[in-house]
Amino acid sequence: MNLFHTKYLVFLILVLFAAFLPMYIGEYWQYVLTIAFFYAILAASWNLLSGYTGLFSLAHHAFGMIGAYTSTLLMAKAGIPFWMSIPAGILLTMLISSLMGIMCLRVSGLYLALITWAFAEVARNYFRLHYTFTGGDRGLESSLLFGTIQPTPYYYLFLGLLIATIILIVLIMRSRIGYYLKAIRDDSIAARSMGVNIVRYKIFAFAVSSGLAGMAGAFYGHSIGLISPIMGDFNEMAMIIIFVVIGGIRTMPGPIIGAIAVRILMELLRAQSEVRILILSLLVIIIMRFFNGGLMELYRQIKQWINKDKNGGTSAYHEIETPKQGES
Amino acid sequence: MNNKNKILEMDNVVKIFGGLKANNGVSFEVEKGEIRGLIGPNGSGKTTLINQITGIYDATEGHIRYKGKKINGLQPDVIAAMGIMRTFQVARVFLNMTVLENMLIPAFTQGQSNNEANTRAEELLDFALLSRLKNKPTKSLSGGQFMLLQIVRGFMRKGLELYVMDEPFAGVHQSIKGIIIKSIKMMNQDKNVTFLIVSHEMATISSLCSKVTVLDKGARIAEGSMKEVANIPEVIDAYLGG
Ligand SMILES: Nc1ncnc2c1ncn2[C@@H]1O[C@H](COP(=O)(O)OP(=O)(O)OP(=O)(O)O)[C@@H](O)[C@H]1O
Ligand SMILES: [Mg+2]
Repeated sequence: MNLFHTKYLVFLILVLFAAFLPMYIGEYWQYVLTIAFFYAILAASWNLLSGYTGLFSLAHHAFGMIGAYTSTLLMAKAGIPFWMSIPAGILLTMLISSLMGIMCLRVSGLYLALITWAFAEVARNYFRLHYTFTGGDRGLESSLLFGTIQPTPYYYLFLGLLIATIILIVLIMRSRIGYYLKAIRDDSIAARSMGVNIVRYKIFAFAVSSGLAGMAGAFYGHSIGLISPIMGDFNEMAMIIIFVVIGGIRTMPGPIIGAIAVRILMELLRAQSEVRILILSLLVIIIMRFFNGGLMELYRQIKQWINKDKNGGTSAYHEIETPKQGES
Repeated sequence: MNNKNKILEMDNVVKIFGGLKANNGVSFEVEKGEIRGLIGPNGSGKTTLINQITGIYDATEGHIRYKGKKINGLQPDVIAAMGIMRTFQVARVFLNMTVLENMLIPAFTQGQSNNEANTRAEELLDFALLSRLKNKPTKSLSGGQFMLLQIVRGFMRKGLELYVMDEPFAGVHQSIKGIIIKSIKMMNQDKNVTFLIVSHEMATISSLCSKVTVLDKGARIAEGSMKEVANIPEVIDAYLGG
């Protein structure tokens, strides 16, 4: 019981820490962390769809890109203000991802991955090839939300968005919908037979998770000032997966810890850009080999090990009861 | 036709997989409050029939009526909402959820309050001697406990009217089998739940069911008490002939 309270307390302390951090770090690291928060939102929302619900999508980065282009284009071409263009970007990603969810209702696993990947490639190439409208590979200038390139306001913006994302996902996973999503991942046939409307909840998972990606993307464009089809590059998707896997798939903190830790690590290794990807790949291999559940699994094992010592060697695990003889 | 006592009517049900007729014009009726056995040799089409009753498959031909309403072609969750629960031959439980969470799913989809769902789950888990495991991940249970959990999970639905079970006794320990039989009898007597039970365990079916339906090669070949059907030459042939 007090475990829950500890969790919330740790979350609160981390939030406070992050809120005061810009006073102690320079603009460069504020910028780095802003980008890390952006990826943390993508990772956490992908975890909702592909981790908890088990729908392995490879289009998540593309929804970030679609959100970014929608909002930026609406502003640049139609003069629509932020407060309308950003929600429009979010709504459009939710709409497109719902349609994709409907298309993918009967597929899963590798087929779902392939379809979503193909969709992402179509979207990326659309923005590349319609360059008169989208700016193509050269990219598109996006008006800055706070009219400045000074990173502090954007840092707080993305910190706020990340906190909102975490709260939303926690609320979903603790509600009945969270039960249904987990049931769908474990056994969708059993879920349906137990009354779960899997059509509704699969589409829900697609729409909410992609909507969050679209939101992150839209704000990202207006924070960086320039968007390009690189946002839809498969590398971006691979990074999201790496963040989630390193942090711990199907855990709440895992994707966020993974995204922030790996982004910081990559930044520290910036000078050695060739060995950077090597180190990252080695990290993935080591974690996958020894801690299948990522950093959160490492944490669990350490905690269990400490508890075991405290309890004098008796582990609370694997106590399976065999029922006594029933009288009938 | 729409006799009030008939809870389930199979009317000339045909199911074709590619070139294979898994069900070949099956017709029979189950009365409200019955515990009906459905037997037949391996591959005779029992599971296929259940999958059509519960909406996993749509019938190629024919009708399935539940309380007089056609249900074939409806989605499984819609059929569940009408008061039909089922179990699977190979137990399907939510392995990465806790035992208690497994129990809550059918209650939640039905709109039961948290309080009601939890009280109900505690009672049923107590009955099934699974209480001690309620907060354990389901994957830590034994195979027999998977089956038991799958069965009591179906009882979570309030107003359950028809419970379709596919081989509920297969591969479970004698003690668990006792609990399952007890739960079936209790729910049948106290809550007037109708059961349709597929099983190879003739002795158990004989003691539970006053009437059994026999399938062979996708067709209904006999119906009656276990004693009666056991003496019908076609039934003996079907079992001996393989
Ligand atoms: N999805 C499917 N696709 C193709 N053929 C199928 C499918 N499901 C079942 N069959 C075939 O239909 C026939 C009937 O199978 P079914 O599983 O209904 O038999 P059963 O009576 O339940 O057998 P058992 O006692 O072994 O469980 C078998 O020949 C089986 O191979
Ligand atoms: Mg079968």
